[in-house]
Amino acid sequence: MTTSQANQTLAVSTAGLTKRFGGRTVVDGVDLAIPRGTVCGFVGPNGAGKTTTIRMLLGLIRPSAGTGTIMGGSLTSPQSYLAKVGALIESPAFYPQLSGRDNLKALAKLGRISSSKIDPALARTGMTARSKDKYRSYSLGMKQRLGIAASLLAGPELLILDEPTNGLDPAGIVEMRGLIRSFADEGITVLVSSHLISEIEQVCDHVVMIRAGKIVHQGPVASLREGQQVDIEAAPENDSDLERLTKVLETAGHTVAQSGSGLTVSVAGDVSGADLNRLAAENGITLRKLSEQSRSLEKAFFELTGTESADVPVGQEMGAIR
Amino acid sequence: MMTWAAFSSEWTKLKRMTLLLSTFGGLAVAASAFVILLFSQAPAHTVPGPHGGPGGLPSLDVLARPNGLIVGVDRAVMLLGIVAFGIAAAQTASEYSLGTLRQLLVRQPRRVRLLIGKMIAVLVFMVLATAFASVVAFGVANLMASSRGVSTSAWYTGTGFTDLLEALGRMELAVVGYSVLGLVVGQFLRSAVASVIVGFAWMIAVENIVGRILPSASKWFPGVSLSAIAANGNADANVSFDHGLAVAGVYVVVAIGAAAITFSRRDVTA
Repeated sequence: MTTSQANQTLAVSTAGLTKRFGGRTVVDGVDLAIPRGTVCGFVGPNGAGKTTTIRMLLGLIRPSAGTGTIMGGSLTSPQSYLAKVGALIESPAFYPQLSGRDNLKALAKLGRISSSKIDPALARTGMTARSKDKYRSYSLGMKQRLGIAASLLAGPELLILDEPTNGLDPAGIVEMRGLIRSFADEGITVLVSSHLISEIEQVCDHVVMIRAGKIVHQGPVASLREGQQVDIEAAPENDSDLERLTKVLETAGHTVAQSGSGLTVSVAGDVSGADLNRLAAENGITLRKLSEQSRSLEKAFFELTGTESADVPVGQEMGAIR
Repeated sequence: MMTWAAFSSEWTKLKRMTLLLSTFGGLAVAASAFVILLFSQAPAHTVPGPHGGPGGLPSLDVLARPNGLIVGVDRAVMLLGIVAFGIAAAQTASEYSLGTLRQLLVRQPRRVRLLIGKMIAVLVFMVLATAFASVVAFGVANLMASSRGVSTSAWYTGTGFTDLLEALGRMELAVVGYSVLGLVVGQFLRSAVASVIVGFAWMIAVENIVGRILPSASKWFPGVSLSAIAANGNADANVSFDHGLAVAGVYVVVAIGAAAITFSRRDVTA
């Protein structure tokens, strides 16, 4: 693919993006390729380098090495592309003594954005009613929504949302998911970062996984699940058949783990529940439960990185964390 | 045009009621308190001394002259300078402590333009606040003059107005200098509290102590130079207005240059 073709199909592309703080490498040779029009999840444990990468994309941090293109503009000249970008970086940051509306007004003036864009942004995020109240009186969820409203001011083609569900209650999280999907429906490319992989899974169609500053996987979410093992929950009608069912499945080459009164069977992607049902029936066992569990992104992430906890750095044991 | 956008954005923040009241009101109260002290403590008649009264205070005779209102300016400017320095430092430092700088830089990635626009807005704000405080102090001076039987007729002559406007102009110049230094220190230290402490410590302690130990060094200090601008020369430190203007000018230019270079290169991690 030529550079100009890449610019047309990719919202964000980087090559060898690296950031070192002193002797510590926080982002290490990251090659991003985020297609236009997708909702791309940027996942990884806390401290994996997500925010530093995002800050480099936004021109807030100067890369130690590497190149990149964002919405067709060079990473070295953020002014060439930031007018097309909206961003919520970490926690929302506004002037506490100003109202939500005045905060947006200050940003709109700075970006030479028409003040007529303020009301639609407030309405979109459900902040119209409280827009004249001081920012310091807002709940965390409202602050987060105002942050999203600020990111919408420029009419962005690319939205970069860093941990947008941080501090939100369950209803707020569901609402945020809906909002993100609606951006994608309008053709806006969304890059949403989170350390909560399960959150990303529900809203993204593309994913970039980062760990210890390096990308461990990127591509469509569906492709991550392809070719991977699937978990099937199975339980015999008679509890006395549990041991026999275990043996039958293990003999057939499946990995089996007991879970309550049933079994969790890890099978290759081309084996279905029907195959297991047939196998059990051939051995005179009737199943009362058979359900396929789609492989979660979380499991895929741990399989790729070989760790149990998203917060545990590679090579470090849980017990070593203080 | 881009600098105007940064100015306009900063102005939206500066014109909030709490800051207007605290800055304009605070400076007006400080200036008025100074005037009240000046008139209430002034002796009735001229006695030998640089200002005609004990403790450096001018007498009522001196206050009745055309330039009577500006004889105490050199005493007031330090207070004004500290307030201007503190407010200016808080404006830049708080962008780091609140994390708002990252929002601003996404909307205006040309950092030097952002810095200059913000600086101009804060300087205009401080100049207006000083002018407002001067007008209020002038009104209070009239009331105090009346209460102490001081004739104000000489104040309203051509000479009186000229002296007053010149003094106001010099004071505004000094306030601009203090504000620029405050903005720059705030930007370097990224903490409003630390900036104010450093500014106060420098102006009140360091310049005073070093000035007493090494009097010849005083004329190279920024605080002394700025007070010499405001008071049309600083007799105690033997600094003329022109010398003060030149030294303070160098400090301001170097400070702005250093701030522009570091601001444009510094990673924003706040």
